[in-house]
Amino acid sequence: MYKYDYIDQTLVNERVAQFKDQVERRIDGSLPEEEFRPLRLQNGLYHQRHAYMLRVAIPYGLLSSDQLRTLAHIADKYDRGYGHFTTRQNIQFNWIKLEESPAILADLAKVQMHAIQTSGNCIRNITSDAFAGVAADEYVDPRPVCELLRQWSTLHPEFAFLPRKFKFAICGAKEDRTILLCHDVGISLKNNSRGELVADIYAGGGMGRTPILGSLIKENLPWNVLPSYLTALLRVYNRFGRRDNIYKARIKILVKALGPEEFARQVEGEWASIKDGDDNFQQSEWDRVANHFTKPAYKSAQSISRQDLIDNAPAHEQAAFARWLERNVKAHQVAGYASVIFSLKPHGSVAPGDATTEQMLAIADLADQYSFGELRVTHEQNLVLADVEQIQLLELWHKAKAQNVVLSNIGLLTDIIACPGGDFCSLANAKSLPIAKAIQERFDDLDYLHDLGEISLNISGCINSCGHHHVGNIGVLGVDKDGEEWYQITLGGEQGNHAAIGKVIGPSFGAEQIPDVMADIIDTFVKHRTADEAFIETYRRLGVTPFKEAAYLNRSKESATGAAA
Amino acid sequence: MSANPSNPESRIQATSVLRYPKGGKPSIIANEWQVWHGATDENAPQNIELNIDHQQKVLVPFAWWLSDGQTQAKDAGSAVAKRIQDKTIGVWFAADDDILKHAEVIEAGKSIWPIVGADFPIFRDGRSFSTAALLRERFHWAGEIRAIGDVLIDQLIQGARSGFDSFALRADQNLDVALQQFDLFTVTTQNSWRDRRSQLDSQLEQIQ
Repeated sequence: MYKYDYIDQTLVNERVAQFKDQVERRIDGSLPEEEFRPLRLQNGLYHQRHAYMLRVAIPYGLLSSDQLRTLAHIADKYDRGYGHFTTRQNIQFNWIKLEESPAILADLAKVQMHAIQTSGNCIRNITSDAFAGVAADEYVDPRPVCELLRQWSTLHPEFAFLPRKFKFAICGAKEDRTILLCHDVGISLKNNSRGELVADIYAGGGMGRTPILGSLIKENLPWNVLPSYLTALLRVYNRFGRRDNIYKARIKILVKALGPEEFARQVEGEWASIKDGDDNFQQSEWDRVANHFTKPAYKSAQSISRQDLIDNAPAHEQAAFARWLERNVKAHQVAGYASVIFSLKPHGSVAPGDATTEQMLAIADLADQYSFGELRVTHEQNLVLADVEQIQLLELWHKAKAQNVVLSNIGLLTDIIACPGGDFCSLANAKSLPIAKAIQERFDDLDYLHDLGEISLNISGCINSCGHHHVGNIGVLGVDKDGEEWYQITLGGEQGNHAAIGKVIGPSFGAEQIPDVMADIIDTFVKHRTADEAFIETYRRLGVTPFKEAAYLNRSKESATGAAA
Repeated sequence: MSANPSNPESRIQATSVLRYPKGGKPSIIANEWQVWHGATDENAPQNIELNIDHQQKVLVPFAWWLSDGQTQAKDAGSAVAKRIQDKTIGVWFAADDDILKHAEVIEAGKSIWPIVGADFPIFRDGRSFSTAALLRERFHWAGEIRAIGDVLIDQLIQGARSGFDSFALRADQNLDVALQQFDLFTVTTQNSWRDRRSQLDSQLEQIQ
C-alpha cells in the first residue's frame, strides 16, 4: 500500500500543528465557536450529544496492521475502548476531549494517518472498492488514481469552503462496490481500446433529503487530466451551487436544476481554458504512486475448490465452515488466494461497525499472519483481509472465531448498515442502533438467513442518510414527529450496477413495530419467491404492492399513522 | 449584501491591511483603499453618486461600475474620469458576480483599476476563492487582488494560494497571528497561483 514520502508526512505534521494552534485559540477564547466550527469539521471533529467525535480517514479503505494498532490504542487511551467503522471508510471515536484532539492527530500522523477533510464543506475522504487490486472482476486497479486524487484534494485552497460537502467514489471493476452513482462525483475507471487508462465521470448523485443517482457527464477522460477536469467541475459548483438553503446546496441540486447536459457543457467550457495546464498529472507522478500498489509476494499455488476446503475441515465444523466460505470469503484474482470479510455485525450485541481495542489488536495480528499486514474497510462497515491463502482459510477461521468476527452473515439480512443514530449523533431524529439490534435478534437463525439469501438492510437515524437507507433493499429511516421517534420504510433500493433509490411504502411505524413489519415483508418475499430468487429480484418482479399490503395488514391506523410519509 | 450580518465588524473600514505579494513576504501596511458599498438599500434608485472624498482611493462595487461607473467614465469631466486619471478607483466583486460574463469590461479594467477586491459576505462562503483564481488564470490579472468583508485569520492560506495578495481582515482579527499563518505549511500537494505542487520539486521528491 501507499507509504508517505517526505512531502506527505510534512504536510500532515504541519496540519497537526495548524490545528493545535486553532484549538488553542478556541480554548483561550480568541476564536469563537461559530468560526471554529468549520475549522474543526475540516479536521473531522464533530460536537455530538455526549462529547466530541473524531472521524479519522481511512483513504479508499486501505489500512495497515500498524495503523489499525494505532487506532486500537487511540480507542483505549482517548476513548472508551472501541471505534466505529463508518459507511464512508472512516473510523469514528465517540468520546473525545477537544483539548486532547491535537495529541490524537499527532499519534495518527506517526502512522501516516489523519482526519483531514473527513467533514466540512470540502472534498471528503475519497472512497473506493474495498476489494481494489484483488477482486476477480476488476478491470483496473483504482488505487493509484485514488491516492493521486487524495493528494490533489488535500488542503485544496479553492475548494475549502464549497456550498456543501463533496464526496468522491472511484471504482474500476465490473461490479460497482462503491455506490458510485450516489456520490457527488463518481469516477469509473477502465482501459480504452488502446489500453490507456480513462475515466467516465458521473456527477450529481447523492442521498440525503433528495436522493438522486448521478448522471454521466464525461466519457473516456484520460486519467492524467483528472486534476484540471475536476477543478473545472468543482469551480462550476463552487460558483453556482446554492448557498441560500443548506438542503439544496449539494451539487445534485445544481446538476438537476441545470440538467446534466447543461452542467456538463459548463464544466467543459471551464475546462477548455485549463485542460492543458500543468495541474495535470505527469507520468512520473503516476510511477511514483503506482509503484506502491504492486502485487504482494503471492506464493505460487493451485486453486482449491470449495468442496475440497470443506472436506479438509473436521466433520463437526464442516457445515459452519461451509456457510462462512459461502458468505464471508470472496474470489481473488490470484489462484490459491481469497479475500476474507470479518463481520462486524454480530447479532444483537454491538452496534454495526463497532470494533473494540482488543478486537482491533487481534485483527491486526491476523492481518500480519495471513494477509501481508494489510486490511480493507468496507462501506458496509466490515473489515477485509484481502490476500489470504486458501489453504490457510480454516486456520484463520478458527483464530478469528475468538474475536467474534466470523458470523457468516455478509450480504444477508443481519449484515445491517447503520449510522450511530440518536444514541450519539446530535443530528439524528431517532435511534438506529436499537432498531438494528431488535432486527438482528428477531432474525437470529443462520439457516433461515442463508435460505433468504442476499438482502441489504440499511438504517439511517435521520435524512442525512449516513446509513445509506436509500440504497438498501430494505431501508429504515428515523423520523421525528412531535418529539417522538418513528421509522419510515423504503423498499427496492439497491447499490451496485443496478443502483436504485428505494420507495417509501407508506406511513411510518413505531420502533416496537419494526421487527414485526420486517417479518411481514420477509414472509411476503418467501411466499412469492421463485426458486433462488434474491429479495430484490422478487421485489422488481412484483412491485411494492404485496409488501406494502403485508406491512400494513392488521396494523391499526393509530399505530401506523405516526406520520404521513 | 457584502458583510457578515452577524458580525458588524466586517463592515468597519480596515486601517491596516495584510499585504503578501507573490514571491514576497507578508507585512502589515496602512490601508489606502476605502471600500464603498454603493446603495445599501436595495430599493435605492439607480444612478447612485459616488459620494466619497475625491482624494480618497476607493473600491466601488463591480455592479455599480457596470450600471453607472463605466458610463460616467466616458465623460472626461466626470469624477470617475478624474479618478481613473489619478489611479484612485478600483472595483470589488461581490461573491455572486459572474466575472466570466463581463470579460470585456474586466479586460478593459486592467488598464484602469490599480487594484480589485473580492468580497466574503461570510467567512465560510468560498466563492471569492474561485473569483480570485479566475482573475489570475483566465484574465492574467497581474495587479493586487484584495480580500474584503468577513476575512478571518483561518482563511488566509486558502486566499493567498487562490490568488489574493492582500487582505483587509475583519476588524477584530489579530494581525500578529495573521502574519504567522503563511509559515505554517512548507509543502503543497496541488498547484495554485502562488506555487506548484511540491511533488514537482525534484529536490523535495528525493528526500525519503
